[in-house]
Amino acid sequence: MRTNTPPIPHPDIGTDRPLRRLTRWVTGLAGALLIALTAGQAVAARPDLLPAAAAFRLSAELSRDEITVRYDVAPGYYLYRDRFRFDVLPPQVRASSPLLPRGKVKEDEFFGRVEILRNRVVIRIPVALPAGTREVRLKVVSQGCADAGVCYTPQEDDLRLLQGAGATRPAAARDTPHESLLDELRGSPDAGDSKH
Amino acid sequence: MTKARYLLIVVAVGLLGLVTGLYYWSADDQPSIPEARVASALTTPLATLDGAPTSLDKWHGKVLVVNFWATWCAPCRKEIPEFVRMQQALGAQGLQFVGIAIDDRDKVRTFVREAGINYPILIGELNAVDLAKSLGNDLGALPFTVVFDRNGQVIQTELGATNEAKLRPVLTRLL
Repeated sequence: MRTNTPPIPHPDIGTDRPLRRLTRWVTGLAGALLIALTAGQAVAARPDLLPAAAAFRLSAELSRDEITVRYDVAPGYYLYRDRFRFDVLPPQVRASSPLLPRGKVKEDEFFGRVEILRNRVVIRIPVALPAGTREVRLKVVSQGCADAGVCYTPQEDDLRLLQGAGATRPAAARDTPHESLLDELRGSPDAGDSKH
Repeated sequence: MTKARYLLIVVAVGLLGLVTGLYYWSADDQPSIPEARVASALTTPLATLDGAPTSLDKWHGKVLVVNFWATWCAPCRKEIPEFVRMQQALGAQGLQFVGIAIDDRDKVRTFVREAGINYPILIGELNAVDLAKSLGNDLGALPFTVVFDRNGQVIQTELGATNEAKLRPVLTRLL
């Protein structure tokens, strides 16, 4: 059985028509605003990228016979295994070669096979402390990149480590590499031995 | 709420959107870098590969693309061949690429030769890192590219690798 239903009024018919038109106009404006906002961000800084200090969070600890250096590398970032430098002071402290973890081999189109380190990186530096020495100064240079396609200038950190004091983090956020560091590390996909 | 009041609110929101949109639209052409800072950036002392002092204001009047890079930066090396091609194609129209390498002079010299770079390369020390920061590269990361118009105003900045497809529309407008 068929029933007669009253016709549904067309949405544009009736007194609401100017209002609907205006609403569409405003919606259009909002769209234009969104596009303009997006365009504005294209020339701004990259909010998706972390500062080096946050991308490569460093801490170090001194025990009786070893310095333990830890990097917490944020997801999407990596450190070059062959670009670390370590300086242990004072000179009376005898430091052996750092023991670095094996990295993941990356076939770089420009540098060939390079080893990169991600996630948690633990580096051990055996030390022989002179009698009575409970504090050392550790200078660390590191260099890394983001998968997003940027590389950070080499970063230098200077830490004072006190035996038994636990993990120490850099006093201030790194944001500028040191002049000496640029001299030292500039260039070096092929350089890379640690000083100790 | 009466219909008239509703209409008024809708129109007010629309106008606000229009004004904000126009503001950001114009901001697309002028990244918010203070004029004085740009002027200072253009006169920052840099050095040529031969060690001669120079600065970016030497190329005033050209459409200038300044690229901060280093030989140890893989994304930097990747984009340079495109810059070489664009310099070749658009140089006669007033386009000038300038590279600022934060790197060892000898390594840069070797790479310039190997890559056939056809535009000036300057050597930056710590001041080049500061220069990049003053132009909006807060992270001090590489590569970083800045487009200036013929009046020395910053038109576009790009942190991370760029390419011809990204640069062409801007450069075509400026040349």
